Amino acid sequence: MQPLANITPLKPAGAIEVRNVGQIFKTTTQDVVALEDVSLDVKPGRFVVLVGPSGCGKSTLLMMMAGLRQQTSGTITISGAPIPEPDPNRVGVVFQEASLFPWLTAEENVEFPLALRRVSKSERRAKAQDALKLVGLDGFGKRHPHELSGGMKQRVSIARGLVQDPPVLLMDEPFAALDEQTRMTMGDELLRIWAATGKTVVFVTHSLTEAVYLADEVIVMSPRPGRIVDHLQVSLPRPRTYEMLSGDTFGTLRDRIWRHIRKSA
Amino acid sequence: MTAATLRRLIVIGLIALWEILPRAGFIPELFLPSLSSTLMAGWNEAGEYGHALAVTLYEVAISMAIACGGGILLGAIVGSLPRPRILIMPMVSSLYAVPLVILYPVFTVWLGIGSESKIAFASIYGFLPTMLATAAGIQTIDPQLLLAARSMGATLSQRLVRVIIPAAIPTVLSGLRVGGALVIVGVVVSEMLISSAGIGYLISRYRTILDSPHVFAGVLLVLAMAIAFNAAIKWIERKAAIWQTGTRAGQNAAEEIAPTLQPAT
Repeated sequence: MQPLANITPLKPAGAIEVRNVGQIFKTTTQDVVALEDVSLDVKPGRFVVLVGPSGCGKSTLLMMMAGLRQQTSGTITISGAPIPEPDPNRVGVVFQEASLFPWLTAEENVEFPLALRRVSKSERRAKAQDALKLVGLDGFGKRHPHELSGGMKQRVSIARGLVQDPPVLLMDEPFAALDEQTRMTMGDELLRIWAATGKTVVFVTHSLTEAVYLADEVIVMSPRPGRIVDHLQVSLPRPRTYEMLSGDTFGTLRDRIWRHIRKSA
Repeated sequence: MTAATLRRLIVIGLIALWEILPRAGFIPELFLPSLSSTLMAGWNEAGEYGHALAVTLYEVAISMAIACGGGILLGAIVGSLPRPRILIMPMVSSLYAVPLVILYPVFTVWLGIGSESKIAFASIYGFLPTMLATAAGIQTIDPQLLLAARSMGATLSQRLVRVIIPAAIPTVLSGLRVGGALVIVGVVVSEMLISSAGIGYLISRYRTILDSPHVFAGVLLVLAMAIAFNAAIKWIERKAAIWQTGTRAGQNAAEEIAPTLQPAT
């Protein structure tokens, strides 16, 4: 008898395990293989960036980690357990468009996931205040989204993702709609928030510069069927600075990613 | 001078002209009886007008309930489910282009010349814009908002109450405004065509005996009804805005949709 064989070993909070995951989209005419045999380990507290050409399934992979979509084959675990449906206590998600509710104030938007769980008004308010302070929006809580700039909206969106203090934050091209300067500032802001909270971050982007600048590790994916073609460790020291962008290490890493993507484009 | 005071001055000026021009003999009393003689005529026949108003209001109230209730219900179904939408929308849109008043004689054959035929006609008349606006309001909800709500663990009913309804309210209200106004038009027009009671009937009857003051007294009552309806909608809009805690973006969307909802006749 092996009584211990069936017990899942406890994984530390924030670990992500992707094992042989495949995703097939069924259409009326044909089956499209979006992802094929993707395996990936993200250790707690790491900042991992997924890059790849359009249609490589990087966003699909992220949606599956968020429990918003189920894989056709393989397994995904977050903090040691599968994620059959969204669980904001384990995973916070930030989308490309800030997707804030326009009829709610910044504060109420951040409180939204707590309100769904009938958390008391005072506790909600306190947690939302903390989250807004963390993202640098202290004092903007009463504003509606249309009264905020694009960068500020994404800050609110990050605050909303973090308000239940999940160990994992998933970000689907969160800065893609921002202008270049705001994008750089938001990158630095995100790194500051990440350093302050110690979350595991999985970040999807099209931008090679953004990928290398932000990441501990960069995962490069190929177009349909999506596969992992490279896995780079970014050895640049923290905190990252603007000067690193013109350094040799940065250039070498970016070139290596670019060669993969050019091949498949 | 602000636009509001100017507007008030114009209205006061028109009312003054209504009194002065017929009295001074510039306009024959047959074409336009003075305001005072119109009010006088109405006052002298207060019982008759009161009874007619009661009939008309009763018809308007029932038609409003059918048109708005049915319009919102069916609009919500058609807006959220693609299958009924494909089936029903082309029919409804082309029906909307038909001047429905041509159907009224048929209704009198089926339902008689009493209130039933008015209610049937006005209900259908007001139902179409309400339904189209509601369907549009629900269809144009940003799917990203629903995805975001799902990622925060919102159940189906929470998504309905906290996302779909507040997001659809501004467009639904703009539909109610047009639909409700058309209900009043429908009732009064059908009373004028074939009937034996109601304000429209009074207007039409006094016209045939060339009793202009009594015709205009009826016109004034219809005008008062339209103004009261408009005030009621404004009041609901204000309430909804408070409930939604200010949705300027939503109201803009409603205004963009409103011009496309002009009736065929």
